[in-house]
Amino acid sequence: MGSAASPGRFWLTRLVSAVLGIGGCFLIQTLSQHSLGDYQQRLVFLAALYVTLSVSLNLINGITGQFSIGHAAFYQIGAYSAGYFSKIYIHDQGHNPPALPWLIGVTIVGAGCAAIAGFVVGLPSLRLRGDYLAIVTLGFGEIVRITVQNTDALGGSYALQDIPKIHPVWLVWLLALICVAVSRNLVKTARGLTFLAVREDEIASQAMGVDVTRVKVTAFVLGAAFAGAAGSLFAHYEGSILPTNFTMDVSFIILTMVVLGGTGSITGSVISALFLFYLPEYLRGLKASDGQALTVSSTLIIGGLLSIGIVTGLVKKIMEDQRGTPQSRGLIYVGLVAAGVVFVPILNLVLSTIKPLAEKHIPTDQLRMVIFAVALIVIMLLRPQGLLGHHEFSWSMFGGSNRGKPEVAT
Amino acid sequence: MLAGLDFRTLPEQVVNGLFLGAIYALIALGYTMVYGVLKLINFAHGEVYMLGAYFALFTSYALGFGPNSTTTQSSVWNLLLMLLVSMVACAIIGVIIERLAYRPMRKSSRISALITAIGVSLFLQYCGALFLPNSPPPSISENVNPYRGSTRLTLVPASSQLQKLANDAKPAAKQADDAYAAYMAAHPKADEFSLPPDGQTLRDAKLEADRKAQDAQSQADTSAVSITIRYGELIIFMTSMVLMALLTYLVMFTKRGRAMRAVSHDFDSAALMGVNVDNIITFTFIVGSALAGAGAMMQATFKGTTMTTFFGLLPGVKAFVAAVLGGIGNIPGAVLGGLLMGVAETLVTWAGYSRWSDAVAFVILIAVLLLRPGGLLGSSKVEKV
Amino acid sequence: MPVMSYKSFKLALAGIVLLAVAGCDKVNETPAANAGGDTKPAATGGDTTTAANRPASTGEGNTATGDTIPIGIVASMSGPQQPWGVDCVNGAKLAVDEFNKAGGINGKKVILFPMDDASKADQGKSAVEKLIGDNKVLAIIGEVASGITLQMAPTCQAKGVPDVAVGATRDEITDIGNEIFRVCYTDALQGPVMAQFAYKDLGLRKVAMMTDKTQPYSTGLSKSFAAAFTKLGGTIVKEEFYETGQTQFTAQLTNLQKLNPEGVFASGYFPEVGPMVKQAADDGMKIPFFGGDGWDTNNIAQTGGKAIIGDYYCNHYTNDEKSPEVQNFLTKWTAAYNSKPATAMGALGYDATAVVLNGLKNAKGLNSKDLRDAIDNTVDFKGVTGSITLKGHHGDPPKRALVVQVQPQGTIFKAAIDPSQLTN
Repeated sequence: MGSAASPGRFWLTRLVSAVLGIGGCFLIQTLSQHSLGDYQQRLVFLAALYVTLSVSLNLINGITGQFSIGHAAFYQIGAYSAGYFSKIYIHDQGHNPPALPWLIGVTIVGAGCAAIAGFVVGLPSLRLRGDYLAIVTLGFGEIVRITVQNTDALGGSYALQDIPKIHPVWLVWLLALICVAVSRNLVKTARGLTFLAVREDEIASQAMGVDVTRVKVTAFVLGAAFAGAAGSLFAHYEGSILPTNFTMDVSFIILTMVVLGGTGSITGSVISALFLFYLPEYLRGLKASDGQALTVSSTLIIGGLLSIGIVTGLVKKIMEDQRGTPQSRGLIYVGLVAAGVVFVPILNLVLSTIKPLAEKHIPTDQLRMVIFAVALIVIMLLRPQGLLGHHEFSWSMFGGSNRGKPEVAT
Repeated sequence: MLAGLDFRTLPEQVVNGLFLGAIYALIALGYTMVYGVLKLINFAHGEVYMLGAYFALFTSYALGFGPNSTTTQSSVWNLLLMLLVSMVACAIIGVIIERLAYRPMRKSSRISALITAIGVSLFLQYCGALFLPNSPPPSISENVNPYRGSTRLTLVPASSQLQKLANDAKPAAKQADDAYAAYMAAHPKADEFSLPPDGQTLRDAKLEADRKAQDAQSQADTSAVSITIRYGELIIFMTSMVLMALLTYLVMFTKRGRAMRAVSHDFDSAALMGVNVDNIITFTFIVGSALAGAGAMMQATFKGTTMTTFFGLLPGVKAFVAAVLGGIGNIPGAVLGGLLMGVAETLVTWAGYSRWSDAVAFVILIAVLLLRPGGLLGSSKVEKV
Repeated sequence: MPVMSYKSFKLALAGIVLLAVAGCDKVNETPAANAGGDTKPAATGGDTTTAANRPASTGEGNTATGDTIPIGIVASMSGPQQPWGVDCVNGAKLAVDEFNKAGGINGKKVILFPMDDASKADQGKSAVEKLIGDNKVLAIIGEVASGITLQMAPTCQAKGVPDVAVGATRDEITDIGNEIFRVCYTDALQGPVMAQFAYKDLGLRKVAMMTDKTQPYSTGLSKSFAAAFTKLGGTIVKEEFYETGQTQFTAQLTNLQKLNPEGVFASGYFPEVGPMVKQAADDGMKIPFFGGDGWDTNNIAQTGGKAIIGDYYCNHYTNDEKSPEVQNFLTKWTAAYNSKPATAMGALGYDATAVVLNGLKNAKGLNSKDLRDAIDNTVDFKGVTGSITLKGHHGDPPKRALVVQVQPQGTIFKAAIDPSQLTN
């Protein structure tokens, strides 16, 4: 959208994208309902939630550079406020409003509550920097969780039950899409540049006349609102929500999604949210052919871990040295990975001589989170800037005309 | 609101809080030292603490205090050995983590390093669950600890009038106890929960008399102001203080300590001045992890902690909060923050709000940070993520 | 970059939202199309629904078509609740192996699909969806924890697949619908049993409580205990709270000590109760502690040290019981796993599976519907943890509760209390 675009064309583009977006969401819903089982449909639903959470945190962490590690708090506030209203109005008082407008309305309310919380958390960010802000957001998350846990009207430590179940798949994907669109458009506007400026250098941007206060608080409010909306949809999907749905590790997972995708990259956040969400679920399907839990001998596990460690270390070393042509390095990487794969059975044989280890067999179910952690460490070691770094997906990546915005300095 | 508070127990609760805070402080030191030199929140520190407890457990097994052993004789040497093994093993683990996971990340952004730390923490939790005993969760045999029990330090003696009443109630209770004991001795087959009527009467009488005596004694006791000192906690506190004093000496008065402070102050300049930064960082991890190991061993031995590979999370987070409260990167700050957190949590419980004790720690944290953005003793300077 | 674009982007956003709302009419006509049958804002249980009229499921359930019969089990095989989850799965495997060795059903073997939930409620729900959708299981066993069961049970209810909960003692669970059963007793029994035991047998009048505020199990049990104990005429002098993973209880104990209770009801799980009792002994508190089935582990005597010897808790069964069911079970377990079950969830997992398998035997056809009816008709099934009758009890078997005493070598059986023996 060069500045030469006429207003008419500008609006046409907007309208077409909006229609295409909404159409796409319905397409996802129709496709998933016709070709997927209930379990996969659930994954499709939850995936959109995680995309929303990840992109909305990216708005705070990646684009504005404010270190927030308590995103689950906004998610929880949205879920509990919207869930509570629905429960009171529909279940307790017996009203029967049309499902969808009610859901949208109550989701906006949930987003509003979360936005207020975001405002409250955003304010200290004026005084606090970096890790101090991080711990305040973490603390805020814990305070919210404990408050809910101690409030009997919200179900206390047990659960907020009897939330009416309304959960159109298209709506949650639309939310994800709006979240992505808002983030993207923000970055592309003049105002968005002030966000990036605050991330790059707060003092310098202040000197240039950027209203840092406003930028930071806006980021928190926007990010929180989207997380709250996601929470509301989650509450109406599950029908009952527990304080343990929103613990610290949920915040960490969302943060991990943002960083793994490349801090500041919206596309990266989306990709890594999908990746990190599907990985443990995919591993759930690892079963022997007769459906029984697969067991792996512990020697194989140790062998695999050692092998991964050594190969990762070597690859990292070669990457840093930057010797030879990219092609030759690529060949070396492939060779190393192959050697690593061969190395595993050898290590396994060697380790099998240790009796207690060889006799210990571990079901794959217990390995899911180990694989998750290893994947996290390996990716971070090999690609510390995240999968996409600060880059965004664009057609120009494939050699198209270079009419996109100039790359923001990273 | 103040009416419900029992100020007689206040001194005791403050002491409880200090003892609790000593452990927080020990773990917080590890966070704060690593942060000082690397500007990295070492999320895996709680897991080092967890492993420390397991090392102490294995040492106690090796010393003959296994799950099925009946050894009861122990000595201070056993405890020292466990402490040493825990500290050394944790130091090694800390160095390994630094070498394998953090050193390659040193040139990367801090937030990437943080995610690596979260990865390491998850890895230790879940991989540990595969290989360490955790079902049922084990705990260190209390027999290994020769210092059990407590002593009472009286600040204001009990009211003599009430004490006299309590003493008066005792003979009657003793008499009823004896009568019941005699009955039970005469009827060896009797089950104490389904006695014939005559036995039941005796039992009821005994319970009633005991209750009266106990009530009277309790009234007398609560009129006194005293502090219960548990030997185990005293040892934890003293050891922590000794370790912290050693640390202070190390950091303030040795060459290595000076180098550490230099690295903490300005990483690049220190390197230019000829400080071997790698060595200093390794050293920092050794010291920080060893302190966590000491804390874990003492907590597990003297407080009877039950271990799963996930139990490092909570003390880890609390200690992290303590470190930030005191001003992260600042060593006396970590100690102050730890003690303050311990006292705050305890006082909230004392005031009758134990439901909120852990939330209050965070509320205090936020309040302090809003007033002093760099923590209590820290300095506030501009940082970027 | 035109300056107006920020404003226009806001307008565009409003446009999207408007479009979304405008598009809703169509969706609203067929709300049920949005999800597999459980879209309607139906009451899913809770206090308004009494146990007597549990909502019936409209789901189709699954049918066994091949030459095997799939059954699913959801348990925490990783995460903080792993000790309980692993035991539960081991117990279930034992029951299935035994059943298959005995010939299965007309030569058809039962396959057990274990599914991990990583101790998280939403993952439990995903696991259930996968089991029902992908593995086509006829019935589901689990979960151990009430919170996770609560989030996964509505799915079983909606899909018409019976769920037999293993250790979820929270009262409200079975109100979700007629597909939900359990093999354990409820907090509504456990609390009063311990209250009666404390009041009548131990002769206590003033009791303090220690509650794990993070565990729904613990808060629920404390509530039911307090109600029953007060009704009997006793007093709860104080309820103190702690959180899961806490290791130091001195502040709470100091508070309690000054109030001079005659006993302490600790409703949490043993990893916290053990250190708590040890620390109380260090303080010189010589009063009994007692609690619910959360205490159960085969090394409670080590966890709680000398101080816990002689204390009582309520349990589903004890290894010490001499009944043939228990001793048989222990022999089989030891043969298979070379150790004793670490927690009572081993026996309960075995029983839950056995109830399902027994239902399979009596079912008219090999499908979820007939299986549900067969499970609902279970009468006097001799389980390891006592006789289980589900017929006419809306999913909550009226089970005896054992009061056991901690001894250095394990626990000894003190009393078995039937629901009928409760005075209130």
